[in-house]
Amino acid sequence: MNALRSKRFIITGLLPALVIYSLFVFVPVIWSAYYGFFNWSGIGEAKYTGLSNYAEILRDPVFWRALKNNVVFVLASVFGQIPLALALAVLLHKSNLLQRFLRSAIFLPMVLSTVVIGMIWQYIYHPQIGILNFLLDALGLSSWKLQWLSDGKIAIYSLIPPLIWSYVGLYLIIFMSALQNIPGEIHDAAKIDGVSGVRKLLSISLPMIKNTVQVAVVLCISGSLKSFDLVYIMTKGGPAHATELLATYMYNSTFSTYRYGFGSAISTSIMIISLLLIGTSQWLTNRKKDAA
Amino acid sequence: MKKWISILCSAAMLALLLAGCGGGNEASGSGENGGEKVSISIWHNWTGQDAKAVAMRKIIEDFRAEHPEIEVVDEGLPTDGLKTRLRTVAAADEMPDLFVMWPDAMTKEFVKGDLLQPINEELDANPDWKNNFIPNALDGYTVDGKIYSVPMNLAPSSFIYYNDALFKKYNVKVPETWEELGTAIQTFNDNGVIPIALGNKANWVAQSTFFSTVGDRITGTDWFLKAVEQDGAKFTDPEFVEALTTFQKLGELKAFQDGFNSLDETQMMQLYFQGNAAMVVNGGWALANLVNNAPPEVLDNTHITIVPTIAGGKGAPDTTAGVVGTGLGVSKKLTGARKEAAMKLFYAMAGPDGQKATLDSSTLVSYNIELDKSKAHPLFVELYDLIQRVKIVPVYDSKLGSATVEVVNNGLQELLMGGKAEDIARKIQDAQAAAVAAN
Amino acid sequence: MNMNTTPPVTAGKVKPSGGVRIWAKPGRGLFWVLLTVYGVVTLYPFFWLVISAFKTNADFYARPFGLPQVWHGDNFTRAWESSRLGTAFGNSLIVALGSLVLTLFIAALTSFILARFQFRWKGGVLTFFVIGMLIPIHSTLVPLFILMKQMSLLNTYWALILPYTAFALPTAVFVLTAYLTSVPRELEEAAFIDGTGLWGLFFRIMLPMSVPALATVTILSFLHSWNDFSFALVFINKTALKTLPLAIANFADGYQTDYGLSLAGMTLSVIPTVILYLLFQEQMMKGMTAGAVKG
Repeated sequence: MNALRSKRFIITGLLPALVIYSLFVFVPVIWSAYYGFFNWSGIGEAKYTGLSNYAEILRDPVFWRALKNNVVFVLASVFGQIPLALALAVLLHKSNLLQRFLRSAIFLPMVLSTVVIGMIWQYIYHPQIGILNFLLDALGLSSWKLQWLSDGKIAIYSLIPPLIWSYVGLYLIIFMSALQNIPGEIHDAAKIDGVSGVRKLLSISLPMIKNTVQVAVVLCISGSLKSFDLVYIMTKGGPAHATELLATYMYNSTFSTYRYGFGSAISTSIMIISLLLIGTSQWLTNRKKDAA
Repeated sequence: MKKWISILCSAAMLALLLAGCGGGNEASGSGENGGEKVSISIWHNWTGQDAKAVAMRKIIEDFRAEHPEIEVVDEGLPTDGLKTRLRTVAAADEMPDLFVMWPDAMTKEFVKGDLLQPINEELDANPDWKNNFIPNALDGYTVDGKIYSVPMNLAPSSFIYYNDALFKKYNVKVPETWEELGTAIQTFNDNGVIPIALGNKANWVAQSTFFSTVGDRITGTDWFLKAVEQDGAKFTDPEFVEALTTFQKLGELKAFQDGFNSLDETQMMQLYFQGNAAMVVNGGWALANLVNNAPPEVLDNTHITIVPTIAGGKGAPDTTAGVVGTGLGVSKKLTGARKEAAMKLFYAMAGPDGQKATLDSSTLVSYNIELDKSKAHPLFVELYDLIQRVKIVPVYDSKLGSATVEVVNNGLQELLMGGKAEDIARKIQDAQAAAVAAN
Repeated sequence: MNMNTTPPVTAGKVKPSGGVRIWAKPGRGLFWVLLTVYGVVTLYPFFWLVISAFKTNADFYARPFGLPQVWHGDNFTRAWESSRLGTAFGNSLIVALGSLVLTLFIAALTSFILARFQFRWKGGVLTFFVIGMLIPIHSTLVPLFILMKQMSLLNTYWALILPYTAFALPTAVFVLTAYLTSVPRELEEAAFIDGTGLWGLFFRIMLPMSVPALATVTILSFLHSWNDFSFALVFINKTALKTLPLAIANFADGYQTDYGLSLAGMTLSVIPTVILYLLFQEQMMKGMTAGAVKG
């Protein structure tokens, strides 16, 4: 009786999510993946070409460049945002005025639209009237001045600070709520044992929120592999593909060069690569856990 | 804690309730129940507060007042948004009745997808209208001998806007030859003035506003058209490599300010408006922006000329790259009374009156009408007079396949960053060869 | 739980921050000063947005960083009137709140089941949702458009509410399930023994217990639907149903941008998200500690 009731509950409970998600996410994705096997301009007749779009992707230097840039973004997010957010979460756990101000300030970029963020950072990096070069001049570091966004060798790295800056608030919030959830008894116990400071952080707090960190890593990887807006607004993937990302390349192929099939093949590749990366990261963390 | 949940829940209930209402009165198959008011839809990009957008919206308003029997449902979107939306609805075969459409690539794709209907009948019925377009104006809208639209403006893409005060101050001659351009660049650089402001982040800018003309000066138009068809000319030919090299040398001379590949068109004009740059190379469309936003000390000293001649080049000297402007696409699905209504609006916008209204809003047209010089801004009069003297040669992105255009645009960015001209020429050639082979 | 694990893998990366705790007092003071500077710098874009909203176009061009020469408050009124921002604001609220509530309810229910029940396809269902987090939305525009056309959903609020919900679900389910899995079960077990039904358990125990994670989901999901441009651009073509990002985009037509009006519009559009944040920040901090575990 009880088992039957819970079975019914499981089915009715899962149904709405499964229906909405399947219909509006999964069906379109399969549909789009299907176009990946066609040579189609997005209009009119489509010609079935088998795997030739994928073969072209493998030979396409722009695709590999975009993938490399995406990997840079993933690494920067995972090893930049997460440690920074963790550190800030630990530091800002009290609720005095200064800490509350700092928390809000750090979160604020999250609520601004990417258009605004892109605009302001373009002016920070502006080669003639930019704040950054102005500051370097003022500090007597004129030789450090660079063409931040237009030098193909460094442009992708110049995009990392705005990227980290705009999302660190999100992870800060996630970590803070996780830290808040560590039951008071554990803190008390630590106090009695005389564990505090760095040791407490490393040996008690971090393991307690390990799950959350894993969640954040997955969010980070999936987020940075899909990232589109910031780059599209700040550099359009240029100069000469130097900051091209998989998503911007896909968008260009689909909507400006009339190569819908090719664009679909790229987006399917993005998903495959993300799955591999996330799978690997899960496997890595779980393996370590087993070893411990 | 429970309070906020209940607040949120009630807000959502309200939202969903309203959403339900919104969904109810959905107007799909717009007014085909004969005899009733005829409804037509038009999508456009006249959303701004600039003179042209205002003028075009006014035509629609006037049309509504004049034709109470026709309901015009118009929707304005920013240019990029309009293009993305059109691509999407084209894939689903759901075109609006009329929409702003670009010549060449877009027109061809839409015709290939069987989304448009030709307007030959209407044009032939009104020869005064048809014959008054400037030569070749309808080419970009003609596919297999059928005409699908007419241009509502003209977009010469390559003028030098220069700040005469700076030229006088440093005693520089406004360049008419490539050598004089070199001298001018040198002098301005020596005096800490940016010779030419360039904002090539949206990578079509260098191609459309500058390189297309340089290319034409060196290779000549015939060569270019042959290379486009891949018929007796290739982009790896020495003349094209020379065009690339010439353009690259301009970059090496520091003709453009640092970091030009990361600035957008707005920031490029900003450098010019601030008086930091002596010249800016831009299309005829930049004039409205200049007149509206440049401070008087810059605006009053601004004049317009064309890209200097290049000795030894095969192209004609008095030319500028350009393309006819946007037209209106007419959906294939329009028939009967709705088609009639749509064509009335089409004529109001692109016919003689519409062309005149466009010209009066400081926008060049591909149509023969006199400008009322007493009413126009002096700089626009200057532009208008200049365009009467020069011939328009095809801008690269109007003739090349859209995938090749991407390669050219990125190649020019690479070129100006020190890429090798031969390699870039090869990539362009490969892309265009593939595009031609695919057709 | 297992507090006595060996030092975790992340240890090395966190050291710099941990280090500050053992700094001497003056170092600590300097550290807080630096952090405050960082906070102020972070606020600058917001400040820039607001002051730029008071500028004329010419002023913006001439001095992008300066204070306005003349403060043009009428940018706000002009923006509000000329692009029907009022209507757009209402539409945005409807779709953002609609999809938010739908997302919260459905995702919480799903996560409750995934975290607390054992059944055969559990792993499969979770993976199925997680895949959704990896999808670049632009690739789905055309298929979604065709789909919604066939369902006659185009040009209704549902054309945005449903896809926003669908695309928010993967992240929401993922975050909530992970959270619930890490929360102890004693409370529900007690309630269950007391005879509370499954729905009662869900509404009375699970929902309040998930507040911190729900708050995260709220912010993510609301921000996404509030700022979305692509879906709104393609699925809505009735002016009366347009959302804020579209209305604001109309101040720039691709050739010219009216900065005063654009930035005034953006400033207005930030207000609800700031309010939402301020509201939820408090909730998150109180959330858990006040609730379940101590009980």
